Amino acid sequence: MDLYNLGPVTWWESQCFYHAMAALGREGLIICYPTTPYVCLGLHDDLDQEIDQEYCRVRGLPLLRRETGGGVVYLDSCQLFFQLVLHRDNPLLPLRRLQFFEKFLRPAIAGYRSFGLPAELRAPADIVADGRKCSGAAAGDIGPCVAYVGNLLLDFDFYTMSKVLRVPTAIYRRCLYQAMRRNMTTLADWMTKAPEYSELAMALVNEFARHLSDLSPRTLDRELVEMSIGYREKLTAMAWLSLPGRKQARRRVKIAEGVHLLERNLGGLESIVVLIREGMAEEPLHMGGPGIDSGSFQFTIGTKEEKIFEVPQQFNP
Amino acid sequence: MAMGHRRVPEGLLYDRNHYWVKVAGREASIGLSAHGQHTIGDILYLELVSPGAMIRKGEGFGSIESSKWVGALIAPVTGVVLDTNREVEASPGQINVDPYGQGWILRIELSDIDELKLLMKATAYRQWVEEQINREHQEEGAI
Repeated sequence: MDLYNLGPVTWWESQCFYHAMAALGREGLIICYPTTPYVCLGLHDDLDQEIDQEYCRVRGLPLLRRETGGGVVYLDSCQLFFQLVLHRDNPLLPLRRLQFFEKFLRPAIAGYRSFGLPAELRAPADIVADGRKCSGAAAGDIGPCVAYVGNLLLDFDFYTMSKVLRVPTAIYRRCLYQAMRRNMTTLADWMTKAPEYSELAMALVNEFARHLSDLSPRTLDRELVEMSIGYREKLTAMAWLSLPGRKQARRRVKIAEGVHLLERNLGGLESIVVLIREGMAEEPLHMGGPGIDSGSFQFTIGTKEEKIFEVPQQFNP
Repeated sequence: MAMGHRRVPEGLLYDRNHYWVKVAGREASIGLSAHGQHTIGDILYLELVSPGAMIRKGEGFGSIESSKWVGALIAPVTGVVLDTNREVEASPGQINVDPYGQGWILRIELSDIDELKLLMKATAYRQWVEEQINREHQEEGAI
């Protein structure tokens, strides 16, 4: 299998090379990181609902909508990307696409462990260390191939991530920051000195070679570069970014697998922001308004059908 | 593992992408088979073409998202979309719950009746699904 160990690339190249490879039907593994920050939407994210576009404009953060799943992410040079492109009929791929994340994420888990993090899979597609998310992954069918993409977090700009998302109130944003900080971790939390790119990349390459296939180093060729430039046009065009996506009845941000931050305005000044973990509400991060007792509330969240916020009798209209 | 994903009702036609086609004259309803939805997992979002659009056999007619994965919906036959299932668009998990009933995806007017000959009847599809499930069990053993 071809290996493109690219190191630093532009923000758009960090997404467009793997799209181009998949569209061209070329299998391979890309390892890289973006030199400048940007914001990346999942295929079905709704731009207006999810993103504070004015903040992104003022900060000069470009937007790109990828053709893989998952949600909005803020990406920068503190994240190392690994992107695997396989033909849809590659025998490595199980019938159940989600099942492949286990195999795909093994190298990243091994890489984290080699740097001292007690990393493990949180199915289907997160890596956690000490119960906190330290890597996200996504996948999507692109052309004749399927692309699996993930990252290693050297550090994470929680503040900017909390500003990038469109949220109902400043209080919710503060809660979002707190929730991410408590439920995510990065190499910076575990190491006094950040590892070099080459160390991380080598750890990944060795593990991918061990688990998946022999890897043959390659350099970018003209076909791939030209196709990726075409993808840049497509994935950053306003018409593409503005495609309608899934709508939420109420604001809900997924922090990690099984962990969501929810807000509900109960009318007037009364509102609550609460973290839902595995379908159960934790202590509310914020309760505004008089007389709201956290014990008064019960919350449920379904995995197939959204069912959130069972409001206590006294607050029902 | 639940056995429901092995269910293959008689009277429908199937393709290898795990779509079923229910024919009524020149019209057909299309959905994902029980095994098809099983391979995708919990379906979170569905994006479909609009009524009036032409869908072509082997080409995409929308996209589907389960947790962290998105893929194209591939038309099993060619035709003009008469109607899409609004309820399943609003609540895509219905495909997981009732793939052959409330989870139907769209209804089309068939453009080429002969394409139906290329689809499998229940017996052939059932056998093919069993082969796929055996393969899946081998994969699980290998992981």
